Amino acid sequence: MVMPGSIAKREGAIYCRPMSKAKKSPPGKRSPARKAPGRAAASSGIGWRRLVWQLMLVSLVIGLLGLAWLDARVRQRFDNHQWQLPARVYARPVELFSGREMTAENLDQLLTLLRYRRGDAAREPGSYARFNGGVSLYTRGFQDSDGGEPAQQIRLLIDSQRIGKLTDASGQPLPVARLEPLQIGSIHPGHSEDRVLVKLEDVPPLLVHMLMATEDRSFHEHHGISIRGLMRAVFANLRAGQMEQGGSTLTQQLVKNFWLTRERTLSRKLTEIPMALLLELHYSKAQILETYLNEVYLGQDGGRAIHGMGLAAQFYFGRPLAELEPHQLAMLIGLLKGPSYYDPRRHPERARQRRDTVLQAAASQGLLDDKLLSYLRNKPLEVVPKGGSALYAFPHFIDLVRRQLGRDYPAEVLASEGLVIHSTLDVLAQLVAEQKLSDFLVPHTALNGAVIITAPDQGDVLALVGDKSPRRAGFNRALDAQRPIGSLAKPAVVLAALQQPTKFHLGTRVTDGPFEVRMEDGQVWQPKNFDNQSLGAMSLTDALAQSRNQAIARLGLDAGLGEVIRTLQKLGVQSRIPPYPSIFLGSLNLSPFETAVMYQTIATGGQRTPLRSITDVLDRHGQPLARYPVRPEQVFDPQQGYLLQWALRQAMIRGTGRYAVAQLPANLLVAGKTGTSDGQRDAWFAGFSGSHLALVWLGRDDNGDTGFTGSSGPLRIWTSIMAALPQRPMRLTPPAGVEMVWLDADGVRRSGQGCEGAREYPLMTSSIPQQTSACGKVQSVPGGVKRWFKGLFD
Amino acid sequence: MVQRVVRLIVMVAVVSLAACAVTPGDMSMPMEMPAGDPLKGSAAESLWQMAVAAREQNNLAAAGRYLERALYLQPESSWLYRELAELRLREDDPQSAEVMIQRALRLAPPRPTYQAALWQLLATARMRQGDEQGAERARLEAEMLVRRR
Repeated sequence: MVMPGSIAKREGAIYCRPMSKAKKSPPGKRSPARKAPGRAAASSGIGWRRLVWQLMLVSLVIGLLGLAWLDARVRQRFDNHQWQLPARVYARPVELFSGREMTAENLDQLLTLLRYRRGDAAREPGSYARFNGGVSLYTRGFQDSDGGEPAQQIRLLIDSQRIGKLTDASGQPLPVARLEPLQIGSIHPGHSEDRVLVKLEDVPPLLVHMLMATEDRSFHEHHGISIRGLMRAVFANLRAGQMEQGGSTLTQQLVKNFWLTRERTLSRKLTEIPMALLLELHYSKAQILETYLNEVYLGQDGGRAIHGMGLAAQFYFGRPLAELEPHQLAMLIGLLKGPSYYDPRRHPERARQRRDTVLQAAASQGLLDDKLLSYLRNKPLEVVPKGGSALYAFPHFIDLVRRQLGRDYPAEVLASEGLVIHSTLDVLAQLVAEQKLSDFLVPHTALNGAVIITAPDQGDVLALVGDKSPRRAGFNRALDAQRPIGSLAKPAVVLAALQQPTKFHLGTRVTDGPFEVRMEDGQVWQPKNFDNQSLGAMSLTDALAQSRNQAIARLGLDAGLGEVIRTLQKLGVQSRIPPYPSIFLGSLNLSPFETAVMYQTIATGGQRTPLRSITDVLDRHGQPLARYPVRPEQVFDPQQGYLLQWALRQAMIRGTGRYAVAQLPANLLVAGKTGTSDGQRDAWFAGFSGSHLALVWLGRDDNGDTGFTGSSGPLRIWTSIMAALPQRPMRLTPPAGVEMVWLDADGVRRSGQGCEGAREYPLMTSSIPQQTSACGKVQSVPGGVKRWFKGLFD
Repeated sequence: MVQRVVRLIVMVAVVSLAACAVTPGDMSMPMEMPAGDPLKGSAAESLWQMAVAAREQNNLAAAGRYLERALYLQPESSWLYRELAELRLREDDPQSAEVMIQRALRLAPPRPTYQAALWQLLATARMRQGDEQGAERARLEAEMLVRRR
């Protein structure tokens, strides 16, 4: 095969041969060429022309092939482009309805986090106004698996720390409305792009006009390149002696961002020009502009590249693009020249000067009058501090979301598909939990802690704090600290006993006294009480309420080690449980999260509900992809669940949790349990009302002595958290199959009310003693046919 | 345990005979929101109505979301748990349905007809899980309530 280049060479050789002969000819002798100079010259001219034509032809073919290749590249990328959109995580949307507990401060906190703009009226989404006793606001709206919420104007009156009245703008009562959820994070593993897609029709027109005034004034006239702009750049570069200006149109800039490298070389420029022309040939100005606005690079946030005006508006101002003011739009456009050089957080003065240049360019195009220009130039940058963004505020909760999402979605999908994740985070509850933990630990610098708050019925994780400095990402103690749970294990021992109703009930006497167990390996286990005393015989209820180690250890042995292990597993413990009796007293390492799972089952009266941090996943267009509904499982009989709740209530009334009952409102019924591990290395409290379960752990990372017991430390934090949240008391109505029965001091006979040592306990029908004491009027209990029937359901 | 089984067998036999005296109409329990349920007239009622509309359009995901939101507003409503239980049954999740019915029963106002309907629903949920004995016990409870009506 003969290549074009080799043809040219060979022809050149043929052509040159006579010339070399001529050189060798003796003088006076005419060479053939000299004999016919006109013919030779003609022959030579024809040869050159042919070569040139051939070269041109070859170049044309190469050029056409190149163009076709570039054309395919442009169209392929543009048509099939999938924006790389990391998954976005949102907090629970705030429900507004008449009667909801909410203070004016709560509402202020929310509106500040959501960056609502205060004015004299709520005229546009994201704005609000105060009036006497209430607030008028214009919500932004959002999409959800139930269709979502429209942006709307609402008015709410706040009366005695509750929403008194909720109406629409015309004053018509609204049953319920929602504030849009706060974005609390995005999932972008490693280095990746991030953006918030915007449609051209949603972009403020002023942004587009300013963009053109600054970057490409003839955008609507040129066909991809601007000769005038190019010439201007050439002269500027010649004057400077180096590449200073690109002279690129917006189309060329898009080509550069989309297909080419950022280096300023001639070859890149030569590729850029035809690609820009091709882009303009195939696509409309609107398409090019919209893509440019979403593609353009505007900053860096660690491993996350900030692309597009939509995300930049959120990143720098914490608001949607549509809500930005002219000087803020100008700053974004100013960033195009060099996002790092003009970074408003690192170089505010530079950013401001550049912003003013953009404003000046806009004014010179008639977009701003002198008065407005002067006003805008005097405005501060108004960039939100990076640490102040809700995007970074809750790293430990986001960690949980990421782990739960990771079970269902591969990392690349989370990084690029633009999933919308609705989470269970209750921002107000989270802020309360963070504040109370941090406040308590201020004087205790060596200590750290974790807090988890859940909604028992739904299994929703409302708050999760894994560090006393809650914004610090790093070791997530709530999820990853594996610590002995101490007396938090005791309810499992009691529950294991209550599952044997003919053998144990809450009035059963157990002995709080010294004993020892010889283990298989020859070791001897001798449980001791925290106060090193033994109180003798006591009811099972008191043994739990007063957290007596010896009594509970005996109970555990009587109920059976295997039963206790099975009970712990049914409660939701998935970690390995060592088969030793010391687990009765909490020699069992669990994370605060797993312990919260266990107490979740207790708080629901025996319904194991997996704790969820996600409720819904939507695709990038807002269409529902997956729901994470509440999926509880009844793992204990409701009667047994109730009895344990009642016993834990006694722990609050007359046991180790008394402090909370003294502090909280009398009508707020709560139940819970303290826990302290050996050497006070860990201090715990887990407890619940009808609406919240909260667990608090305190410990040191070096595993040293905390100096606190469950009562003196975590219980205090827990109480302050519960006092700050809107609460509903726990239900203590006995379910069918449970009767309130007075028992004598020994707990073996029914007794009359008020007899010495007699106490009233809830008992399962099958546990009620038939014997009666001789004291007082003994109540009748279901017997005969009724008891026979009841026995069916116990 | 043996004693319970024997009792159950006797009970089933007795009720089976008694059932001859019960017309089928007695077991067709109306399922309407019972008087006394706190959902009535509350802000959550509108969400429940939206859930019903979504369910009728076979949009079970949206219906579930509406009901969960309604429960957030009105957590003491037995009716909402009953509705969620029905939804779970439609979603072929009888295990969750059973839990929801237990909650509905715990919150149920003292209306025998309504409670009987809940027990009947519980029987269905248990049957769908293969728990025939549990289903039978629930059915017996429902029948006793109907008789008491």
